[in-house]
Amino acid sequence: MFGPRKPRLLIAKPGLDGHDRGAKYVAQVLRDAGFEVIYTGIRRTPEQIVATAIQEDVAGIGLSLLSGAHLLLFRRVIELLHAQGADDIVVFGGGTIPPKDIPLLESLGVAAVFTPGTSAERIVERLDELLCVPA
Amino acid sequence: MKSTHQLGVSRPRPRATSTHRTLSDNRRIVNTLDETLHRIDAAHQRWQAGPVAKTLAKFPEQRTKFVTASDEPVERLYVPTANSIQHYAEKLGFPGEYPFTRGVQPTMYRGRYWTMRQYAGFATAEESNARYKYLLEQGTTGLSVAFDLPTQIGYDSDDDISIGEVGKVGVAIDTLADMEILFAGIPLDKVSTSMTINSTAAVLLAMYIAVGEKQGLTPQQLNGTIQNDILKEYIARGTYRFPPQPSLRLISDIFAYCTREAPNWNTISISGYHIREAGSTAAQEIGFTLADAICYIETAQRAGLAIDDFAPRLAFFFAAHSDVLEEVAKFRAARRLYARLMKERFGAKSPKSQMLRFHTQTGGVTLTAQQPDNNVVRVTLQALAAVLGGTQSLHTNSKDEALALPTEDAVRVALRTQQIIAYESGVANTIDPLAGSYYVEQLTDQLEAEAEALIHEIDKRGGMVAAIEQGWVQKQIEQSAYRYGQSIDHNERVIVGVNKFQVEESSAMELFEVPESTTQRQVDRLQHVRRTRDSAQVSECLRQIESAARGDANLMPPILAAVKAYASVGEICNKLSEVFGEYTDSSAG
Amino acid sequence: MPRLELPELVRGARQSGPLAVRCAGRLMSLVTDEPQRLAELLAMCREWPQPRLVLGLTGSPGSGKSTLTDRLVLEYRTRFPADKIGVIAVDPSSPFTGGALLGDRVRMMQHATDPQVFIRSLASRGRLGGLALGVKGVVRVMGLVGCRVVLIETVGVGQSEVEIAQHADLTAVVLAPGQGDGIQLLKAGLLEVGDLFVINKADRDGAAALQAQLLAMLQRVDLVRHDRSANGVTTQVCHDVTTGPESDPSHARLFLTSAREHLGIAELVDALEARTEVAQERWRTEREEQIEAELQSAVLAEIERRAICTLRTNAAVVERFDRLLGGAEPLAAVVDEVLRRTIGDATSSTK
Repeated sequence: MFGPRKPRLLIAKPGLDGHDRGAKYVAQVLRDAGFEVIYTGIRRTPEQIVATAIQEDVAGIGLSLLSGAHLLLFRRVIELLHAQGADDIVVFGGGTIPPKDIPLLESLGVAAVFTPGTSAERIVERLDELLCVPA
Repeated sequence: MKSTHQLGVSRPRPRATSTHRTLSDNRRIVNTLDETLHRIDAAHQRWQAGPVAKTLAKFPEQRTKFVTASDEPVERLYVPTANSIQHYAEKLGFPGEYPFTRGVQPTMYRGRYWTMRQYAGFATAEESNARYKYLLEQGTTGLSVAFDLPTQIGYDSDDDISIGEVGKVGVAIDTLADMEILFAGIPLDKVSTSMTINSTAAVLLAMYIAVGEKQGLTPQQLNGTIQNDILKEYIARGTYRFPPQPSLRLISDIFAYCTREAPNWNTISISGYHIREAGSTAAQEIGFTLADAICYIETAQRAGLAIDDFAPRLAFFFAAHSDVLEEVAKFRAARRLYARLMKERFGAKSPKSQMLRFHTQTGGVTLTAQQPDNNVVRVTLQALAAVLGGTQSLHTNSKDEALALPTEDAVRVALRTQQIIAYESGVANTIDPLAGSYYVEQLTDQLEAEAEALIHEIDKRGGMVAAIEQGWVQKQIEQSAYRYGQSIDHNERVIVGVNKFQVEESSAMELFEVPESTTQRQVDRLQHVRRTRDSAQVSECLRQIESAARGDANLMPPILAAVKAYASVGEICNKLSEVFGEYTDSSAG
Repeated sequence: MPRLELPELVRGARQSGPLAVRCAGRLMSLVTDEPQRLAELLAMCREWPQPRLVLGLTGSPGSGKSTLTDRLVLEYRTRFPADKIGVIAVDPSSPFTGGALLGDRVRMMQHATDPQVFIRSLASRGRLGGLALGVKGVVRVMGLVGCRVVLIETVGVGQSEVEIAQHADLTAVVLAPGQGDGIQLLKAGLLEVGDLFVINKADRDGAAALQAQLLAMLQRVDLVRHDRSANGVTTQVCHDVTTGPESDPSHARLFLTSAREHLGIAELVDALEARTEVAQERWRTEREEQIEAELQSAVLAEIERRAICTLRTNAAVVERFDRLLGGAEPLAAVVDEVLRRTIGDATSSTK
């Protein structure tokens, strides 16, 4: 009776980096694509992010970081998710991330990394795919 | 065009063009001018209706609407208007004179080029010190220090919250010991140093003064700038620590201290750069920045400082994007609007208080990760805009900065770009060379009017702090960023290599990496300092800071004493935060 | 976590530990995505604890509502350290894409790692999205995990947001001085839905004027309601900017606070607690009645939706409808046909 919905997503800014233009833009683009997006604001700890994701029952967490601390912080988020039995939550990321770090992040369990210049269309397509959103 | 008298004070009436002409002479001249303009206008209409319409019928233009990078509408052709001739004196004037539209010095780059100042810093003080020496050898004329995020927010490198961030976006500074290494072998009376530091500016300035003393220099002999612009941190950049009121108090303590002790120090660099980076338009960049300036000036006045005592030390910092003519117009509009504000709203008498001096950085957000070599061209256009706009100093971004911190080679090309503009392009030979361009003058007027309307709106909302707390300023910027992003995603705007002219690329470019050992080395040094300093003295200094913070004594002297005793940035800021509290986004809205 | 069905989720949420939070979160998704299943949920939870108080907070943007919510959470946590508190933050959905940007959480992140605070962001999903039922379900789940108080904060002031706030036990309308639209909002109907009125940012200029205006309006409403015998309007003293103390906090309707300065919050919670003591039994009954009414309207809405479908698509019905238009068929006969065909379609599609 109430139609199928796209899953809920969390867009989060871990670490101390305050540049949130990209995170906010992606959040808006995903809203436009029909997702319900929860945004955390800047300077959040991995603990806050994971606790929020679980309470909000999101299907995916998008992490945005421009400071270069992505390896440590993305890893911490994934470890915490694991500890809470929430490995099914898909983690994706973006920001200033050197190409050579992408395979590393993927091996940690980051499902997709969107570097600057990735089109909104591409991001939405990839997330639909990852989250099995029916076309 | 929007109204331009919103500052609460009427604009000066147009002055007669020359004192020895009679009134009737003037009237005759004005009449002749009106006739000329009228004829041009008629010819313009004829041209639009005739040749243009005929061409359009056969070959439509590429787009129905042309806009600048900031979505300002652009006409097909601009023709002379009365403004730039009849009101030449009040709108343009002469370089070095009110309203400074054409520049802040009488000779501009014919006397001395702008300061070529490359923002740099990473890992620990040793690495950064080596980079500064390299830059000075290559011909930079000023230093610009990038601190890492823990330092900028006031956390020590061994704080849990600093995990992953130590030495990443800039150099890690915990104690004076780091600062001594950072400037080792660099005589501080010979260079000017700009420090991008805001919520913790008082601590880092104190450290700089202390290093100067160790080199045998008094604070009077030091030249440089601290960014010290907390408002734009709440708006756009995010390295805040304390709530607005105590942060503003710290800023006016710095103003008061430097007015007395370090008169050559620029106590603030009011920054539009980060507002633009966050997605604002050009008009919002200058409107919000000048609204920030108004807030600082009012704070200093409330603290009892006289406008002409501190205003000459206020400096500005803007972005330069690729829409060259719009950027030039923006810089000119900012200068004129600021001069008017200072004179009409604040009654500043000294020309030094009325002139807007600014540093420029090319637009970080305009760099693309795709085909990074193209960034050299973007940076060239942007640097050219800054020079044509009369900047006092300039940082040019390196081509690899969309991916990582820049390599030494990339930084050298960025610096060479400035040098080629200075020495080869010829644009620095005459002052304000684009003045009189019908387009640039009208765009200057347009941006000034829009920025002024924003200032007016912020006044109505109860000033900048209130407008930030309402989330209004952030929302305006967010909406501009969204529109801009959508225009690219919908292919209304072309970014070469991103949504047009793409190629398959391998990620072969060599990128800079912060050494992995950074955090460990930094934490080791901090802990060594903690073991070897006089800890009783440190505790006493921190107590002094706390008691000054609770009262209204100037905080600079106790902070200076504490850094000299090797108290760390984190210890000092944690102490301040006990008294002041912490700002979080939850304070907004 | 594997896909669990309602009974497992309920059992899971009653446990302790991280998995319980996941189960509770998942249950909340279930009742907001499929609000028609609320009845199922309720059937399983007759014995559950319920929140003592469900407080709706609504009001104009810029009134500092989120900060007030944040401070109320803090106050309740300090007063009742062993108890949990729930927050439901409702943001509007985009009417075009169905998507939503739920940004309210930003202002409550300091509670994110407090296991005693459960925050859930919801999109309003338009009028037909069943949010009223969904919210009721989320409230029940918050009760299930032990929340003493649930705050429902609505960001927008659209119809559906106001309705949500109205479905709480108590509805607080938050206003602030210097917000020209405050009085307009009251005129537009918030005056009637408000049980409590909070003038936030009361340390600013204009608070006294707003208070006077509001008092006058409330008295007028009370006169119209012939409600003079019921306690009238009293103002709770929150700090020195107000006038005159009042004795019984459970009767106070007008409050002055400054969330940012932590002023007036304790007094507001005093009054809320006092009201809760007096009214919680009645609220429980009202909640049951409301749920019954909501479920009834959900049933009716679904009947309407299916009937419309039949009316537009079923060839036999369309034919009879055309005859009705031509005056050749009585309306009752068409209704009978629609009902018959709708039931026929439903039984054939479930087979």
